[in-house]
Amino acid sequence: MRFLLLGINHRTAPVELRESLAINAERLPAVLAAFRDRFGGGDESESGAAPSGGRSVGSGECVLLSTCNRTELYVARPSHAEPTIDTLRRFLAEQTGASLDLITASSIHREQQPAVHHLFRVTAGLDAMAVGETQVIGQVRRAYDAAQQAGTVGPSLNRVFQSALREVKQAHQQSGVAALQQSVSSMAVEFAGNLFESFTDKTVAGLGAGEITKATLQRMLAKSPGKTWVVNRTPAAGLALADTLGLGLEKEAAHHGGARPWEELDEVLVESDIVLTGTAAAEPVITAERFKKLLRRRRNRPVFLIDLAVPRDVEPAVGSLPNVYLYNIDDLNAALADVPRRREKIDRCEAMVRDAAERCVGAAQHQDLGVLVRQLRSKLLAIGDDERARTQRKMQTLHDAGQYDKIEGLLDEHTHRLINKVLHLPLSQLDKKKRGGEEVPTNFYAAALRRLFDLDDVSATTADPEPLPPSPAANDE
Amino acid sequence: MIQTLTNLSLVLLTLLSAAASVLAVARLRQTMALAMQASHASESDDNDLLRRPNKRLLNTLVALIGLGAAGLLMYRWLAVGDGWNPLSAHVDGLLLIASLLAGVGLYIQSRPRLGGLAVFLLPLLTLILAWAICASAWTYRPFHLDSLSPVWTAVHLAGVYLGTLGCALAAAAGVMYLVVQGQLKAKRNPRGLLRLASLESLERLITRSATLGFALLTVGLISGVVILQYEGDLLGPGWWYSPKVLAAFSAWLVYAVVMNVRYATAFRGRRAAWLAIGGFVLLLVVYGIVTSGPATTTDRLEVGFEDSRDLAGAAAAANSSLNAEVFLINHPAVAGPVESRLRHFSLDVLRGGPA
Repeated sequence: MRFLLLGINHRTAPVELRESLAINAERLPAVLAAFRDRFGGGDESESGAAPSGGRSVGSGECVLLSTCNRTELYVARPSHAEPTIDTLRRFLAEQTGASLDLITASSIHREQQPAVHHLFRVTAGLDAMAVGETQVIGQVRRAYDAAQQAGTVGPSLNRVFQSALREVKQAHQQSGVAALQQSVSSMAVEFAGNLFESFTDKTVAGLGAGEITKATLQRMLAKSPGKTWVVNRTPAAGLALADTLGLGLEKEAAHHGGARPWEELDEVLVESDIVLTGTAAAEPVITAERFKKLLRRRRNRPVFLIDLAVPRDVEPAVGSLPNVYLYNIDDLNAALADVPRRREKIDRCEAMVRDAAERCVGAAQHQDLGVLVRQLRSKLLAIGDDERARTQRKMQTLHDAGQYDKIEGLLDEHTHRLINKVLHLPLSQLDKKKRGGEEVPTNFYAAALRRLFDLDDVSATTADPEPLPPSPAANDE
Repeated sequence: MIQTLTNLSLVLLTLLSAAASVLAVARLRQTMALAMQASHASESDDNDLLRRPNKRLLNTLVALIGLGAAGLLMYRWLAVGDGWNPLSAHVDGLLLIASLLAGVGLYIQSRPRLGGLAVFLLPLLTLILAWAICASAWTYRPFHLDSLSPVWTAVHLAGVYLGTLGCALAAAAGVMYLVVQGQLKAKRNPRGLLRLASLESLERLITRSATLGFALLTVGLISGVVILQYEGDLLGPGWWYSPKVLAAFSAWLVYAVVMNVRYATAFRGRRAAWLAIGGFVLLLVVYGIVTSGPATTTDRLEVGFEDSRDLAGAAAAANSSLNAEVFLINHPAVAGPVESRLRHFSLDVLRGGPA
């Protein structure tokens, strides 16, 4: 199987293009279904083991990873089969409505080991805008799950993705990147500690109900703030998050607070001392204009705004208002980058991920080789069985005729025929100049044969020029 | 003799204080660097720890300065002062502030939530001690304590000096507030900032010391007004709009705002810090006016010397007085018109003599 990657990410394309190419969760199944229809469902088991040999249509596998920073197609397909990188580009252009030229100009493509390595790096957050983030693991898992549901994942991608998810987690743990990770939210809390002496008389507000809001709110709750509000556009998700965090207005609630409707956002912003934002909104939720009006009602109390969303939830201009301290995820990460030995840990993680990717590709190749050997063996066994049946027939005739002395000759003939039949197919390739319009790499084949059968390179004059074995069909009687 | 000793001790104290400031800055830098390193490394370098200035050394130094200043104040009280009032000149007031500031510095060192403030307090202490050198060696002038209201004068001086201490504290916290605030706005790594006080603690310190300063300044201002009521001609007619009174009054107003900044929300945050610093500068201006302005005296004193009409005689008379020697040599007014010289002499002689 060959692994291919076609991707557009924050390195190759500006945010507008990335946004126009993003495929959200609702559209994802349709795109995957289109892939399955065109390049075949990968859900047929052991596609590689199918003795179809050369071109096989209908065993392409695909996982589509689309986040705010990247849209990437991971594809596995049999060698010499569709789709190629070009077809993938066209496919993506059709699906997203972007022009083919644009995609060609702003995408990267990788094959085999580099493609797998890229997947591992992306999963490990090493290719992320905020290097070392772990959020992307969840995104990769979701993309993989979606592809599984759409039936576009076969054994090859199964192996690669499972290995990526497993190995990356391990690399994160062992390299210490996982410990750094908690720091993104803990860094926010630490920054807050430079602003506020105690949290017990403060009000914390979390906008959005996503993972990052949850993680950071949890960390804030460890400091036991006076009140904690969750404000979300969809009330159900907000209530659910408030529930998970143990917020409530009752006495027995773990933390005082709860969910507030989106309409009360202004009131919450007035009440709060620490505001975390992590919504999926495309436009800033807290604009400078909006917040400026609230400053008076806030009585100029210092406020700590932590913008964890990409794209931003808080206009950068808000940060220049008096007594407003605005930090976005980049600031937190930049501060994290100051942490000594962070680079070291990331480098260690990078090395581990590279090794893991190599192991994964190696294992895939090994497995492919195993399949190849099985195919070869069964083919040879088929030839052997044919010959054996023929020889057995002849032997029976000799036996019946009582010509036992000819049996030895029959055995010689059997051996020769068998060897000739086995060698016929590969050796006939050496003889041809062209095959399907392509130049036959005779020298390469010769070298491979020499290497595979451990033969010395002997000049033709010293040895008898042995003619190529005749076609078994011609030899057949 | 007393002045020479005072000067020498003050120079010593100032040098000590400067050394302490340098140590505090070095220590903070090292602490920050350590915080950055130790954040993830359990195996912190022993060498670095050794190189970090010792906290005990710093504390000892500050305690030494405080005790030295207090001791010098006591000595001067015994040697120069008369009776129960320890403050007989501007130097004494500055020494009082310095010794108390050193005490406050020691207290702050023990408060983890006010970490790093020593870095801003110790230079201030150095400044005050250096000022004390000037006040002792060049512009020495005893207070006019033989007024009709010694009690009021004492209350006035105590209120003003202790109030200034509060304001100095507020100003130092204000400077630190601006620094921390700048760091926060610049989004510096909080691991490095960790040992510095939070903005909230600093704001609280500003409002509290401003409250203290305001209360004591109120006492100082009221007693000052009372004294002026007794001796209305001290600052001449229209004293209430003289620069000294106006500056003092505006400083007082500024601290009235700063202490209520949680309610006067328009001045919250950075503005409060600037106000605290500005108020302190105004107070310094008041001190400057008092020190450099013409001596406050009365006709009665002047007349006392016009009788003698003899500068040499006056000098001789002054020599018999305790502080006249220094005064004669150092005071710039000696080069001025005779009349003003006479005034100063008369003041001095009268103070020193039984009269």
